Amino acid sequence: MKGLTYGAVTRDILQPLFKPSAAYLALLGLCVALLGWGGYCWYLQLTLGLGVGGYAPPVFWGVYITTFVFWVGIGHAGTLISAILFLFRSKWRTGVYRASEAMTIFAVMSAALFPAIHVGRAWNAYWLFPYPNQRQLWQNFKSPLMWDVFAVSTYFTVSTIFFYIGLIPDIAAVRDRTTGTIKRIYDALSLGWRGTDRQWRHYMAAYGFFAAFATPLVLSVHSVVSWDFAMAQTAGWHSTLFPPYFVAGAIFSGCAMVITLLLPMSLIFKWEKYINVWHFEQLAKMCLLTGTILTYAYGVEHYIAWYSDNPYEWGIFVYRATGEEYGWVFYMMVFCNCLAPLIWWIPKMRKNLAVLFVVSIIINIGMWFERYNIIASSLAHQFDPASWTYYVPSWVELGIMVGSFGWFGMWFVMFVKIMPSVAVAEIKELVRPPLKSDQVAAK
Amino acid sequence: MSDNIEYLPPTPGAMKSVFPHLDCLVDAIDALKQAGYTNMVVTAPLPRHEIEEQIYGGKPSPVRWFTLIGALFGGTMGFSVASLTHVNWPMIIPAGKPLVSIPAFIVITFEATILFGSLFTLAGLLLMCGLPSHGLQSEVQDPRFSDDVFGLVVNGLAPADAEKVRALLNDNGAAEVTGMEANNG
Repeated sequence: MKGLTYGAVTRDILQPLFKPSAAYLALLGLCVALLGWGGYCWYLQLTLGLGVGGYAPPVFWGVYITTFVFWVGIGHAGTLISAILFLFRSKWRTGVYRASEAMTIFAVMSAALFPAIHVGRAWNAYWLFPYPNQRQLWQNFKSPLMWDVFAVSTYFTVSTIFFYIGLIPDIAAVRDRTTGTIKRIYDALSLGWRGTDRQWRHYMAAYGFFAAFATPLVLSVHSVVSWDFAMAQTAGWHSTLFPPYFVAGAIFSGCAMVITLLLPMSLIFKWEKYINVWHFEQLAKMCLLTGTILTYAYGVEHYIAWYSDNPYEWGIFVYRATGEEYGWVFYMMVFCNCLAPLIWWIPKMRKNLAVLFVVSIIINIGMWFERYNIIASSLAHQFDPASWTYYVPSWVELGIMVGSFGWFGMWFVMFVKIMPSVAVAEIKELVRPPLKSDQVAAK
Repeated sequence: MSDNIEYLPPTPGAMKSVFPHLDCLVDAIDALKQAGYTNMVVTAPLPRHEIEEQIYGGKPSPVRWFTLIGALFGGTMGFSVASLTHVNWPMIIPAGKPLVSIPAFIVITFEATILFGSLFTLAGLLLMCGLPSHGLQSEVQDPRFSDDVFGLVVNGLAPADAEKVRALLNDNGAAEVTGMEANNG
C-alpha cells in the first residue's frame, strides 16, 4: 500500500458512512419489500399450515432445506477469509475480510430462519435446543439434526464474536469522528476502546485464538450439515464423500458471493485502493480451486454409485441426469458450477470486472440448484417405486425463499452505511508506519 | 469533534505527549524506562509489535489461559451432557449399539470445545483489557489517537520530575507535550 498514510486510510474508509443517497434508500426499500413479501408468505404458512407448500409425500424436505443449506454455504467464505487467511498471513485478505465477515453473519442469520420455517410450528422451534424441561425429555445426541443445531449455533456465535472483536477498534475510530448522540452510541458500541498498549496486547492474543478456533469450525460446519444427508440411508445421500464435497461447495459459493457483493461496493464507494481487481482475482482463484474439487466430487459420486453395484444408488444418479422431472436441474448445476467458472482459467477473464460479476452470480444460482438436485430428486425416488412422486415448490415456498434474500440484503445494505466495511486498523498495518528516519533519509 | 476531552479534568501527575512517528515513540518509551519512569500508557491507532515488545518485552498475554480452560471445560461438558443424557434416558437399540457412543458424540464434544473456548477467550479479553473502559483518564481520550498519531502518557509524576520528563519527551521527537505545567502542576 504505497503512498498511503494512516490519516488517508481513516478518511477514505469512513467517508461512505451515514449520508444515504436516494439510490441507497431505493435499494434498501427493495430489500425490505422482498422481506415483506416473504413475511406475508410465512404468515400464510403459519395460519394455513404446511399444506401451502408443494410437499408431495414422501418429499417433506424441499425449498426450505435447500435454501438453508445454500445460506449456510454462503456463510463459509467470510470466516474462511477472516480466520484461515489470517493464520496464513495472506495480504489480500485485509481489504475484503470485513465485508465478507458481515456477509457470513447475515447469511447464517438467513439460514437460521429456515429450520423454524421448515418445522411448521415455528413457535416450538426452541425444542431443538437441549434444555431441562418439565417432561424430563432430552434430545437424541446421536442424531445428525442435533449435531447440526450445535454446529450452526456455535458457528454463528463464534463468527459473531470474531466479527465484533474485529470491529471494536474501527467503531472507536468512527466514534472519534462523530459528535452528539451518534458519538455516544458508537462510544458504547466500542466498549470505550482507546487503543492503549494494554488493550492492543490482549486484543492481538485473543484475535489469534479466535482465528484458531474459527478455522476448524469453518470446515466442520458444512461437514455436519452434510451429515444431515449422509447419515440417512437414502440413496444419493448415504456417502462418506459428502463432508469434503459440501465444504468445497460452500467455499466455492461463498467466495462467489463475496465477489457479487464487493465488486459493486468497491466501485460505488471508490475504494479501488483497498479493494481492487487483484482481490477479485484471488477470490476467482479460490473459486477455481474449490470448483474443481466440486467437479471432481460430482464425478467420483457417480463413479462410486456405478461401482457399488447397488441398484438404488446407481438408479438415483441415472434418474438425476436423465429423468424428465429433475434432469434440467442437474444440467443447470453442471453448467453453472463446473463449466461456467472455467472461463476464469484465462487470466484476462479473471481481471474483467463484468465477467467476474456475471460468473459469480451464475455460480450462486448453480449452488442453489445443486442442493435442490440432491434433496428433491433423492426423496422423490426412494426405494419403493410405488411411492415415487414429483415435488415442485409452491409459490409460497419460493416467496419465503425470496424473502430470505430480502432479509440478507437488508442487513448487508444497512451495515455498509453504519459500520466501516473495510478494516481501518488492519489496513493501517499494511501501510508503512510514519518514521522519522524515512523523513531524514528523504532529505 | 473532541467533545469528550473538555468534560474530563486532567489527571494529576500525568503528562501527555503526541508522536507522529513510530520510531520516535519507541525511542521515547526506551528513554523513559531507562530514566526509571515505567508508569505510562501508550495508545496507537493500530497494533504495532515494536510498542508491545518495548513495554512488555515479549511476555505472552495471559488470555491464553482463559482459552485453554474454556476449551477443556467445553469439551468435557459437551461429552458429559451427551453421555449422561443417553445413560439416564437409555434408548436400547438391538444389535448391541453402545449407549455412550464415542464417534457419535465427537461432534457435540468438538462444537462445545470451540464454543466455550471462544466464550472464555472473550471473557478473558474483556477482563484483561478492562473493557468496557469508558472511564479511562482524559489524556488517552484523544480522537487523533484512533487516526494517525501515537500517544504516550506518563503517569504518577512528582512536580519535581515534570521538567525532566518534558525535556525527555521533546528530545525524542514528541510533536506536543501537555500537562504538569508549572502553574497547575
